Amino acid sequence: MATTLRSVTRLMRRKNLLPMYRTGSMLHSHATSFGYKEVREEEKSQMVGNVFTRVASNYDLMNDLMSGGLHRLWKDRLVSELNPFPGMKHLDVAGGTGDVAFRILERINSVSRRAMRDAFEENLLEETKIYVCDINPNMLNVGQKRAAERGFAEEKSLVWVEGDAEALNFDDNSMDGYTIAFGIRNVTHIEKALAEAYRVLKRGGRFLCLELSHVDTPIVKDLYDLYSFSVIPAVGELVVGDRESYQYLVESIRRFPRQEKFAEMIADAGFQKVEYESLVGGVVAIHSGLKF
Amino acid sequence: MYRSAAKRLMPMFHRQVKIPPHNHIQSLSIFNSQSRFSTSSTSESFPNQNPDGHFDSSSSSTSTKAFNDEKKTSGHDHEAQNTRTARPGRAQYEEEQERVLRASLNHVIRFGWTEAAMIAGAREVGVSPSIVGSFSRKEAALVEFFMDECLQRLIDIIDSGVDLKDLIPSARIAKLVRIRLEMQAPYISKWPQALSIQAQPANITTSFKQRAMLIDEIWHAAGDDSTDVDWYAKRTILGGIYSATELYMLTDASPDYRDTWTFLDRRIRDAFDLKKSVQEAKYLAEAVGAGMGGSVQGLLKKVFPG
Repeated sequence: MATTLRSVTRLMRRKNLLPMYRTGSMLHSHATSFGYKEVREEEKSQMVGNVFTRVASNYDLMNDLMSGGLHRLWKDRLVSELNPFPGMKHLDVAGGTGDVAFRILERINSVSRRAMRDAFEENLLEETKIYVCDINPNMLNVGQKRAAERGFAEEKSLVWVEGDAEALNFDDNSMDGYTIAFGIRNVTHIEKALAEAYRVLKRGGRFLCLELSHVDTPIVKDLYDLYSFSVIPAVGELVVGDRESYQYLVESIRRFPRQEKFAEMIADAGFQKVEYESLVGGVVAIHSGLKF
Repeated sequence: MYRSAAKRLMPMFHRQVKIPPHNHIQSLSIFNSQSRFSTSSTSESFPNQNPDGHFDSSSSSTSTKAFNDEKKTSGHDHEAQNTRTARPGRAQYEEEQERVLRASLNHVIRFGWTEAAMIAGAREVGVSPSIVGSFSRKEAALVEFFMDECLQRLIDIIDSGVDLKDLIPSARIAKLVRIRLEMQAPYISKWPQALSIQAQPANITTSFKQRAMLIDEIWHAAGDDSTDVDWYAKRTILGGIYSATELYMLTDASPDYRDTWTFLDRRIRDAFDLKKSVQEAKYLAEAVGAGMGGSVQGLLKKVFPG
């Protein structure tokens, strides 16, 4: 058992290293990564788009299967970090299926129920706007369908917008909060997406990012690698009949900047009080920043 | 002296989360371990968050291969570096947080020591109420801010020279405690809530420290310069008196809290009398002992004559 584990990880490490050397040489051809593959920048967004078009219908089922239901807790954690309030203007990028948006809305409603006697708050509740922005219309469709199932069909606070995280169609200083859950990894230029987040936020607005990240604890890391490279693509093939998309998923996680590097990128975009929190030993991380 | 020493010691108690150098950040415990870091709690920060905006590449050179690789891939380093220089100092958000807290105090009477008050405060200063989410212990931050403010005001009053000189020590202390407690009189209807927030397990260490600082400040201003075990005794006793008076004040309906101040004066007099009483008690015990001894002797003599 131990030897197989070791050989698998050794194999993976070798796999890991090869594309890294390649990146350096392709630096000037505007190459970017699609999983471990090197693709031209223009192609990446299209390829990512294809992945999500393929997985959209089974997205939630697969999330549950892959994370053992933990992604629900992670999203809860994200929203409690955000601390939504009535009258909030919030932008949830890459939130096509509405998972985060529904949680924010529910939390605002429950907060305001507590302070119901205050008429002031009551008016504010109507001003609440949660924009769900996703580049992929298929994901938005799934989200809208789910909103209807949850009884949010008539909800005026939810606004579904098709848009690119790198070029948001919102005014400067217009948002109180910005969240991106499991999305920024798929963006071609992370810096551009961060700059856009900074642009649309008001002073005092907060940026929160939930993303699959890097595990460092030795044995856990090996198990996690084994799980993600052997189990996840297999499950993807079994359930959705699509191995490629899930192979991309696990590879793109490995290509995403490490926690501290990503925190630096957030700080570079201009955010202050940049913090991050690793959950489950680093399988996911919540990064946050404050705009001023 | 104590004041400055206490101030120097205080930051040590606050939970310091240092940004570890790359590669050292991983936590050793396996699952459920949460490694956190923050740019706020230390002077060390991301190299690029230095106020001068200079990017310190030496610190990132210790990072892994993959890390360097990512940097090259990004290819936007130069642009980023330009914006970095233009960024204002990193302490700015702390000033903004303070402004929000200060404005929130105006809303405490209406909303209590709550997030609602903080949200209203943020709206007042024209900052997005989202900022409330960046306080780690929301309402506690507001209460602690208020406590710090009051302490600062008290220090200012002391430094500006209240007429303490011609008062005896017990009267000096009574006066200072009264000045301090009067500061929270406007919030008296919401003060029980503040006390309950301070008593929460997550906040109790800070609130205890703040009280210790306050008591030390009062003794200091009252001209106490003891360095022996008395130092602890004095602070414990005054801490008790202060808290008792604070609680008495909550249910005091007399005009201008007259009953509270009478209560305070009596407690302080009791405390100062205690020292005297201990001495007196000793004499009394000796006298009683002597008297008892005499009568016992008399009794024995009667029982066993001869």
